[in-house]
Amino acid sequence: MPILHTRAVRLDRAVDALLAGRSVALPVDPGLRRLVDLAAALHETLLPVPAGSRLEARLAARLAGRPALGEGLRALGERARRELLSRERLLVAGAVSSAAVGVGVTAYAVWHRSGLRRS
Amino acid sequence: MSQTDPAQVDEPRADPDLVAVRAAQNDRAAFAVLYRRYLDRVYGYAFYQLGDHHDAEDATERIFLAALAALAEFRDTGSTFRAWLFRIAHNTIANAHRTRARRPTVALPEAWDRPAPDADPARLVGRGEELREVLALIDQLPDDRRQVILLRFVDELTAREIGVVLERSEGAVRVLLHRALRELAARLAEERL
Repeated sequence: MPILHTRAVRLDRAVDALLAGRSVALPVDPGLRRLVDLAAALHETLLPVPAGSRLEARLAARLAGRPALGEGLRALGERARRELLSRERLLVAGAVSSAAVGVGVTAYAVWHRSGLRRS
Repeated sequence: MSQTDPAQVDEPRADPDLVAVRAAQNDRAAFAVLYRRYLDRVYGYAFYQLGDHHDAEDATERIFLAALAALAEFRDTGSTFRAWLFRIAHNTIANAHRTRARRPTVALPEAWDRPAPDADPARLVGRGEELREVLALIDQLPDDRRQVILLRFVDELTAREIGVVLERSEGAVRVLLHRALRELAARLAEERL
């Protein structure tokens, strides 16, 4: 087996032990020992980068097949915009609202008058 | 006599994710276990490769959606789920690099000063000058050496798993790691002279 391969295997096994939290038998070869020391320093220094909480929530929602809250609100806003762009729907909505107000006012007047008569 | 490849020395390890993978193959909702287990690692890999939090978030979304879409094709054939996932990550990030080829990228030490705006501060403790110095040196390594350092020490993949990601033999990855650490040690020694 070539020398470089042997050294690479020994180094990799030392890294395996480091990552698993096992004690590492330091190599006698000073060059290899220096690399194991560097590997230990890297293991302590290079930490995973935490993902943001927004990404976590958004991606969890997408993976579950439902829109995230932000996307849901955007979809709602888009739907309202489309509704308002339709002239016919706007007219119907206006007419229904006016009729509802008219019925409400009449009902109140009737109720108020009947109350006055009773007293 | 034929040469022995160090890749053949170790037996493959059992995949610790296999039960969760089987569950997710039968029920899409069970993928949440794997997603939570690997979100930070995949995001970190994307961030270290792209040097930008927004690009890393985009890439992370694509990686997990691609993994979920292809999960039914995953087979336990000696490799592990995380090697398979990081292979998807590697390809997705390579595509991201291609599509933004003309955009300037932020060097890792500078990018590190700008953590994700909503990252938990408690999880950023202990990242000081020493880390920035190491990142600056890693950033100067050739791409394959840089990748092997990050995959081995940040994502804690084995040489065999890195071989799956980078499409090399386990032996070639071990040699690559040895060379990467030797180059990094030489650069560190130069810096500190």
